[in-house]
This record gives sequence, structure tokens and C-alpha cells, in this order.
Amino acid sequence: MMSPSSTLAHSAATRAEQIAQFLRNYYIYFVLAAVVVVLSLANLDRFDLFERGNFLYERNIINILRVSAPLLTLAGAFTLLMVSGYIDLSVGSTMGLSAVVYALLAINGVPFLAAFGITMVVGAGLGAFNGLLVVRFKITPVIATLITLSFYKGLALLLVQDGVSAIKSGGGLKMPEWFNSYGREGVLLGLPMSFWIAVAVTVVLVIAQNRSLLGKYAAATGGNPTAAKLSGINTGKIVFLLYGIVGVSAALAGIARSSFMSLGDPLSGDGMELNAILVVLIGGTAFSGGEGRVLRSFIGALIIMALTIGMLTIVPAYFQTLVIGAALLTAAASNHLISRKESAS
Amino acid sequence: MSTPTQANRALSRSHRMSDQTCINLLVASVAVLLFLVASLLVPNFFQWLNLLNLITNNWAVISLGVGVTFLLVSGNFDLSVGGIVALSGVLAVWFAQSTGGANELASGFGLPYWLAMLCALAGALTIGGLNALFVVRFRIPSIIVTLGTMMLARGIAQVVTQGSQRNTNLPADFGLLGNMTLFGTSVKLPVVLMAILLVIAVFIERKMVFGRLTYWIGANPVAARLSGIDKDRHVTYLYLFSACVAGIVGILLSSEFKSGYSNRGMLMEFDALVIALLGGVAIAGGFGSVVGMFFGALILAVVTSAATGLILSPDWQFILKAIAVFLAIMTQTWALARRNR
Repeated sequence: MMSPSSTLAHSAATRAEQIAQFLRNYYIYFVLAAVVVVLSLANLDRFDLFERGNFLYERNIINILRVSAPLLTLAGAFTLLMVSGYIDLSVGSTMGLSAVVYALLAINGVPFLAAFGITMVVGAGLGAFNGLLVVRFKITPVIATLITLSFYKGLALLLVQDGVSAIKSGGGLKMPEWFNSYGREGVLLGLPMSFWIAVAVTVVLVIAQNRSLLGKYAAATGGNPTAAKLSGINTGKIVFLLYGIVGVSAALAGIARSSFMSLGDPLSGDGMELNAILVVLIGGTAFSGGEGRVLRSFIGALIIMALTIGMLTIVPAYFQTLVIGAALLTAAASNHLISRKESAS
Repeated sequence: MSTPTQANRALSRSHRMSDQTCINLLVASVAVLLFLVASLLVPNFFQWLNLLNLITNNWAVISLGVGVTFLLVSGNFDLSVGGIVALSGVLAVWFAQSTGGANELASGFGLPYWLAMLCALAGALTIGGLNALFVVRFRIPSIIVTLGTMMLARGIAQVVTQGSQRNTNLPADFGLLGNMTLFGTSVKLPVVLMAILLVIAVFIERKMVFGRLTYWIGANPVAARLSGIDKDRHVTYLYLFSACVAGIVGILLSSEFKSGYSNRGMLMEFDALVIALLGGVAIAGGFGSVVGMFFGALILAVVTSAATGLILSPDWQFILKAIAVFLAIMTQTWALARRNR
């Protein structure tokens, strides 16, 4: 969308336009910096969450990054799906179901790698089922994934026996040692495995978006589905594949969340779809499809996590829903203003 | 240009009411069939009182479904209704609580009850106005907008109630509206209001220009605009109408329980959408009816209450809802494709 207009206007490009272009591409880093500065300056002693009230204290940064692992894992794949013009509202339920499956396997003595692999396959299956409903049964993405949101949540709740709220140690069964350390124990730079998996997923998806056909085809599908089809792209296959990738990412997010909390909570992913949409919008992804960057969504996820956790130290917890809702609307509105300016120039 | 053919298509669509009647009949017969099947399986299910309860227990969701159905027909989602229910209920309580209570949650503004209700309604309409502003003016997809306003409305309710509820220091007549029974029967005022709302909605939908325009806009927005219909204003009215209904539902619920609870109406937006889809309302817009939505609500009520009667764990309701919606959408697509072949 941008490239033809910018090459045409290239000769006439003034300094102001160059600055505007620069801001459009890199604004997200300024926002992140601004959030960090504001939170560092704010008086954070109120709940004594941060030691010595310092946001930039090492242990605090580590804490925020390991809590953010699920959202960081999810942001990239969700971006690619939205770039192709589709949406997945079931990511929260997929997360919850994966968390339950993973915890069930672990508590019954399945070794780490096997449990990890099986849960990823389950996630891929759940994502592929979404893809099936959308591509084969031609149900609108919003409705199809609302159906599976309900369905997966029901399955997750059924897997946990009545009278217990989550899979956890007790009744003769005990969670193995490795279960919790995956999400908490520092392996590199004091950060746990779950965080590094999130980074790895993002790196893979950034490469996939910039260097592989998948990224090109996803953008083509979202930009103009008819043209993409006419130029020989199997859009159905691309969409199906992307839903599968989102499913795997959601499963990894579920693993990260359940490891961190040391239990398999069927509701642990509730509201995740809203966070994912918010993160993707903050990253400047067009909700009509065709445009968006994996890396920017990753930074967007960092912003949201820093904000939500930093906010806990300034205002009481019951402000969270309000702030996320307001942030979602603000992001959507500013996204609209930016894209309108682009099409006008 | 392709515009005249598009306009023609919209025209013939709106005149082809037989499709609508066919789907309504289908939904109604499925509801009756399910009720009979449930009567065979579940003991004590086949009773007039039970049938009545299936409707009266769901008055809130059915009322919300009216606004949601109109919006779906015009091609827009409204997921904010559950949040608005919580917001208006909490606001009604907050404005009506007398000043100077024992703590922050016990003291409000001390307005007279009628004024408190009006203020709560104004709060609900503000959210509806926000929906309209973002969808109509900024052209942001309604699903994202209304998810945002849902969180915004519920978020305000949570801040006002500090994450719990307000239920003390209320005027004596606060619980009157929600618990009033009429005509010497056990039928409560909210249920009667729901029935009146349904009748008015069917009248608007079938007999009034406003209702017919809604179908036009949903069936073909471009043709509607080219024929001089002010689509933006129409959708704005629909969002305000839906928010108004949700606001009244919230006020009635807060009166029924004599409390403003920030989690009230949780998942109601989802249920309202589900019953509309079960009732054959098309997600793409331009098709569907309030009558169908009502029978869709009956289907959902029969399925969930029969499942509870069969001692299934309550966790099953999520799976049952998912399967019901899936089947409803597939059946509707199949039936219409067959008819119009």
C-alpha cells in the first residue's frame, strides 16, 4: 500500500514527510521508552511490589519479562493472522486447554520433552480445527472462533474433575520439579526458558515474515484476497496454516502460564484474545489486513505488560479492565488516524 | 457500472420474505421438537410452569437480543451490552445511595430514585454513543469497537464498586421495580416489559420504514447509500437503541437484587449473540428477525436446562452452546442454499 505512493512522491518528499515516515516506523520504540521513563519516575512505593520503589531494578525487570512470556509468545503469530485479514478469538481458550493438558501430563509422570511436544501438537490441532471451520465450512472467522472459544473452554473445564478449580499437586499426585522451573528459574541473563522460547518464536516468525513466501502470501491474502487468489496463491492453505501456527503459539503460551503459576488452570487464558488484539493494534497492524509487523507487536506486548504491572503499583487492581478497554479504543482510533493520513498523502 | 444490479439484488432480497418465514418456521419447529425430546428424557420437564420458566428466567438475555438482532441485521456486532448492564446497574445504585454512609462503598449521591435511573440510562447511552462514534465515524470494525467498550463499561463499573458491589444505604423503594408482580400472578414486571419490547420490535421490523431500511442497509450498504439512505445516522440510532435496552435491563436487575454488582451481565453479550445466531440471524447482515431470535432463546434455554436436568456437569454448557451454534449456522446455510437453488 505504502510503497507505490512513497516512490511516486519520492522526489517531492520534504524533510517533514521524512520525519513523519520515520515516526510511523519507529513510534513504538518511543512509546516503550516513554512508558518505562514514566513508570520509573512515578512513586512506586505504594504496594511495595518493587523493591526500593525502582522500576528499573534488575529483579523487577526479570519479573515483568517472565510474567509477559505468554503474551510475548502469542503476539507474533496473532499478527501474521491479522495481516492475512483473519482473527482468532479462541486463543484464550486454546491457552487454557493446553495448560490443563500439559499439567495433566506432567502430574501423571510424563517427562518434560514428551509433555511439551504433545501439548504443542494439541495446540496445532486446535488451531487447525479453527482453520477447518473458517476455510472448509466457510463460517465467518469471528463466529467460528467464538464457537471454538466456548467449545475449548468447555473441554478444559471438563478435564478438571468436579470440585477442583485447577490441576495441581495434591491427592497423592505431585507436580514434578521441572514443571515450575520452566517458567521461573533463570537460565540465561536470569530469565527463564519460557521467555527465551517466546523470543525464539518471535525470531522465527520475523524471519518467516520478511524472508519466506508465507509472509508475502499472508500480506497478499489480507491486502486483496481476490487478487491473491487470481495470482495463483492458495489462500485457503495459507489461512489454514496460519491458524495452526496461532494454535501452537497459544499452546506455548499456555505452557508458559501454567509453569509460572505451577498449576493447570482451565481459565488461565481468559481475556487473552483482548490482550492479543490490543497488542497487535498498538503495533500498528491494520485490522482490515495487509499490513503489520511481528516485531512491532512484540514491542507492543512489552508495553502492555509494563503498563499493566507498573499500574498495579500506582492504582488498585480494579482499574485494570477500565485501562485496557480505554487503551484498546485509543489504539484503534489512533490506528485509524494514522492509516487515514497514509492514504491521504 | 454494476450499481443498478446491486440495487436490484437488494430490492428482490427485501421482498423475498418467504425465506424469512421459512427460517422462522424451521427455528420454531426445532425449539418445539427439542422441548418434546427433553420432555421424554428429563422427568417433570413437560409442564406449563416449566415452559413459562424457560422464558421468564431469560428475560434479560432476550431483551438484550432485540438490540443485538437489529444491529446484526444491519451488519454490525454489539458485544458491549453485557458491560452496559453492569455499568447502568452500578450507576443506578451509586446515584441513589444516600450521602454520608459508613464507608466509601456505602455512600453515593443521594439523588431521588427516578433521577438516579435517568442518570444511569444516560451513562448507558454514552457507551452506545461511543460505539456509534467509533463504528460510524472512524469506520473501525464493530467487533473490535464493542469489545473495547464492553471492557470500558465494565471497567467503570468495577472502579465505582471498587471491584465488588454496592448494596447498602439504598432508598426503601429501590427494589420495587425489579420485584413487582403484575395481574395477581407470579409474572414480574421485567418479563412484561420484555414482552412489550418484543411486540414493538416485531412491529418496527415488519411494518415501519425504519425496520425495512435496516434490512436494506445490511443486505447491501452500497446500494442503500446510493438510494439516499443515511446509513450512518441509522446505525447510530441502532447502537443507541441497543444501549438503551441494555441500560434498562441493568437498572431492573440492580433493582431485583437491590445491589450494583460489577460482574453482573458477564457473558450476557455472548448469550445474546448466540440466541440471535440460533434464531437464524445472518452474521453478514440483511437477514434475520426478532421472532427467530426469540425461538433461538427457547432452543438455548431448553438445551441448557435439559442438560442440567440430566445431571451433566455444568461445564457441559459451553460445549453444548458451541455445538448448537455450529449446527444452527450450517442448517441455515444449507436450507437457504436449497431453497434458492
